[in-house]
Amino acid sequence: MAESTTYADMDTQLVVFKLGREDYGVGILQVQEIKRIMDITRVPNSPDYIKGVINLRGSVLPVLDLKKRLALPPADYTDDTRIIIVKVEEITVGLIVDGVSEVTTLSSANIEPPNTVASGVSGQYLSGVGKQDDKLLILLNLATIVGVGADSVKAV
Amino acid sequence: MELNQYMGMFLEESREHLQTLNSCLLTLENDPRNLSVLDEIFRSAHTIKGMSATMGFTSIAELTHEMENVLDLLRKEQLAASPAIIDTLFRCLDTLEQAVESVAANTEATVDIKPLVAKLTKLAGDKGQEEALPARKDKKAKAAAKAAEPAATAQAAAGTIALNDTDVKVIKEAARQGYAAYEVQVKLRDGCLLKSARAYMIMNALDELGDVIKSVPSAEDLEKENFDYSFTVVALSDAEPEKIEQALLSISEVEAVTVLPLTSPEVVPPAAAAQAAAAVEEAGQPLAAESAAPVADALAAADKRLRGGQSVRVDIDKLDTLLNLVGELVINKTRLEQIGLSHHLIDLTETIEQMDRVTTDLQAVVMKVRMVPVGQVFNRFPRMVRDLSRDLNKEVNLIIQGEETELDRTVIDEIGDPLVHLLRNAIDHGVESPAERTAKGKNPVGEIRLIARHEGNNVIIMVTDDGAGVNPEIVKAKALEKGLLTQAEADKMDTADAVRLLFLPGFSTAQVVTDVSGRGVGMDAVKTKIESLGGMVDVETKVNGGATFKIRLPLTLAIIQALLVKVCEEIYAVPLGSIDSTINITPGDIKTIQNQEVILLRGQIIPIVRLGDFLGVPQAAQESQEELYVVIVHMGEQKAGVIVDTLIGQQEIVIKSLGKLLASIKVLAGATILGDGKVALILDVGSLMH
Repeated sequence: MAESTTYADMDTQLVVFKLGREDYGVGILQVQEIKRIMDITRVPNSPDYIKGVINLRGSVLPVLDLKKRLALPPADYTDDTRIIIVKVEEITVGLIVDGVSEVTTLSSANIEPPNTVASGVSGQYLSGVGKQDDKLLILLNLATIVGVGADSVKAV
Repeated sequence: MELNQYMGMFLEESREHLQTLNSCLLTLENDPRNLSVLDEIFRSAHTIKGMSATMGFTSIAELTHEMENVLDLLRKEQLAASPAIIDTLFRCLDTLEQAVESVAANTEATVDIKPLVAKLTKLAGDKGQEEALPARKDKKAKAAAKAAEPAATAQAAAGTIALNDTDVKVIKEAARQGYAAYEVQVKLRDGCLLKSARAYMIMNALDELGDVIKSVPSAEDLEKENFDYSFTVVALSDAEPEKIEQALLSISEVEAVTVLPLTSPEVVPPAAAAQAAAAVEEAGQPLAAESAAPVADALAAADKRLRGGQSVRVDIDKLDTLLNLVGELVINKTRLEQIGLSHHLIDLTETIEQMDRVTTDLQAVVMKVRMVPVGQVFNRFPRMVRDLSRDLNKEVNLIIQGEETELDRTVIDEIGDPLVHLLRNAIDHGVESPAERTAKGKNPVGEIRLIARHEGNNVIIMVTDDGAGVNPEIVKAKALEKGLLTQAEADKMDTADAVRLLFLPGFSTAQVVTDVSGRGVGMDAVKTKIESLGGMVDVETKVNGGATFKIRLPLTLAIIQALLVKVCEEIYAVPLGSIDSTINITPGDIKTIQNQEVILLRGQIIPIVRLGDFLGVPQAAQESQEELYVVIVHMGEQKAGVIVDTLIGQQEIVIKSLGKLLASIKVLAGATILGDGKVALILDVGSLMH
C-alpha cells in the first residue's frame, strides 16, 4: 500500500481524472487499465455505491460509482465517462469517473496532508491534496474507498 | 532472498512427510515391533530436519532432531514403543504441523517446542543414560548403514572416500539388485552463495537417480555449510555414470562433477574410518543382519521413484487459470454459435460444431486434471479416529475404502469438515463402549467404514458404523420435545423420515453435551454444507444394526447446467440441480396464508417468491399478466416457487466468483458470463427459502 498512502521523498506519478468540476488523482501503480463505459450488471442487495459488475476479459469485477461513494452529485454518462480499473490489496475493482485527463508527476513537496484542506470529500477517503500550477489535485485513498481498510463493505 | 524459491517446495514436502509420519506412527502403534516402519519414520523425520535446517527454521529442526534421538533408541530396540512414547511423538507431529503452518502463514514461528523437547530428552535420557557411550557409537554405525546420516568420519574430501564394513555390505547388497556404487565428487563454483541449498539439490538429484549412502563431509556438515566448495558422495544407482554427471551439472553453480564407479567394494577402510568400524563391532551382530532389509527397502523405494517419475507437480493456481481460459473458450464458442445462427452462415455453423467437440473434450480433460483423490482428505482420519476413540474409551477400527476416488479440488477442500462431523458422531453416538458391545454379543471392537466410490456423474461417500444405530422413536420424541414437529406429523411419519429429523436445525440426541458432539448444530451443519456443494446426504439405520450416512456429491462445481430467467431487463441463472419443474399459473392461482403468497401444486402448499421484488429489480413490471412463469426450486425438503417474467432456456454456465468485495451478498451464489459477454448473476436458491 506504500504507493497510495505515502508520498514522502519521491516524485509520484498520478492518473488524473475528473469528477464533476474537480480534479482527482490516484497513484499510477495502482491503475491497471482504463476502459470505456460498458455493460454493467446490477448486483441486488449490494451497497448503493456499488454500481454492479462487469466482464473484464472473463473476470467478473465489481464497479464502484465513485461519485456516489464520495457523496458528489450524480451526472449522466457521456462519451468521456471511463472506468478506471484499479488494484487495491489484491482486490481489483473498477471506478466510474467523468473523464480521464492526463498522467502527471508531482513531487512530494507539492503534496499537503489531507487534514489541512477542507473539501467536499470526507476525510477518510483522502490521502492528500496536490498542487500543480494553479490546479488542485485531490488524492484518493483507495483502500478506504474500496472498503478493504477500516470500514469494509457490508451487505444491506 | 533466494531461499524463497524453495519455500513452496519446503512446505509441500514437509506436509507430505508429516502425513507419512502420522500414518507410519499409527502403524507402529498397532505393531510396535515393525522396524521397517520405524525406518520410514526416521527417514521422514530426518528429511524434515534437513530441509528445515537449510531453510533456517531452527525450532522445527531442533524438535525433529530430538525426535530422531528417541526414534533411534526405538530402532535399536533399546526403548520399547510404549503408548506414552507414541503419544509424545504424536504430539511432536502436531507441534511440527503447527510450526510448518505458521511458516506457511508467514507469521514468525512462535510455536513453543520447549516442553516437548524436554520430554523427548527425558525419554531418550531414561534409557540412554546408562548406555550413553555405546549408544552413541552404535548410532553412528547404524546411521551409516541406513544412509540417513552418514558416519561422522568427517575427513578431508580428498582422494577416495573412506568406507566402513557396513557401507561395503550395503554396496554388495545393492550390486546384487543391479545397482552400481559410484563415488561422486562435486565441486561448486567458487564464491557460490547458499552452498547448503546447492548441496541439498545435488542430494535430491542423486536421490532421484538412486540412493545416497554416504557423504564426506557428513550430511549435517553439508547442511551447516561446513565445507569448502567441494564434497564427495557415495551413491547407489542403476543409471549410467554419464547420466548422473549430466543431472548434476544441470544444477546451477556446480562447476565440476566426477563420477567414479566403485567396482571393488572391498575398499579397505583407511584409518579415519577406524572409529566407525570400531562402533560397528561394538554394535554387534544383529546390526549386520539387519542392514540388508532396510537397504532392500530403500532400493525398492528408489525403484518406485524412478518409475513413478511420470507426473508433474503443478501449482493449483495455474490449473484454475487453465480452467478459466477453457471457460472463456466455451463462452466465445457460444457467441460464435449465435452469430452463425442469426446470420444463417452454414459454413460457420458446421465449423463450430467441430469446435464444439474439441472444446467439450478439452473441458473434460481440464476437469480431470483438477481432480484429486479423496485420499487427501481421508488420510488424516485414522489419526483422528484413534485419538477420539481413546478419549471416549472405545475401541474402533477404521476401514477406508476407495481413497483413490477422484473429486474436484473445490469439493475436496470443503468435504473435510462434514466428514469429521460424521465420523465423530459415529464414534461418539454410534459405536458403543466395549462392555456394552460384549453384552450385545458384538465384537468389542467397533468398526467404522469410510467408503468412497463413483456412481454415474456423482461420487458417493459413505460413513458406516456397526454401532447402536438410530432409534426412530427416540428421534421423534426428541423432536416433539423440542417443538420441531407436531404430534400429528409425528404419527404419520415413517421410520426413514423420522430418522431424517436428525438433520433438522437445533436437533441433538446426545444425552450429555460432550466435547465431541451433541451441540445440536452437527447434522444440520453437515447437511447445509453438503447441499451448498450441490450434494445430498441421507441416512439409513437399524436399531443395534449401525447407521450409514450416505453423501452424494457432483463430480465438479465449476461448470453447471442452469436455467436462465429474465426479470424485467435483468437475467439470472438458477442452477438446474435445484429446480424441480417450471409451471405456468394465472394470477388467480395465488392464495395467501398469513400474508404469505402460496400456490397449491399437486396437493402441496408451496410459498412463492416474486423474484423482481425479492431482488429489488427496478420498475418490476406489476402489470397484470395473464400467465405467470413459476420455477419450482428446492433445497433439501423445502420448496419454493419463484415467479419470473420469462424463461430464456437451459445453458451450461461457468461459475465465476463475485470476489471478496461482494462475497457477503447472500442471495447470490456467483456470476457467469453469457454468450453476449454480459454478466449474469447466479441465484443462491437456499436464500429464497427464508
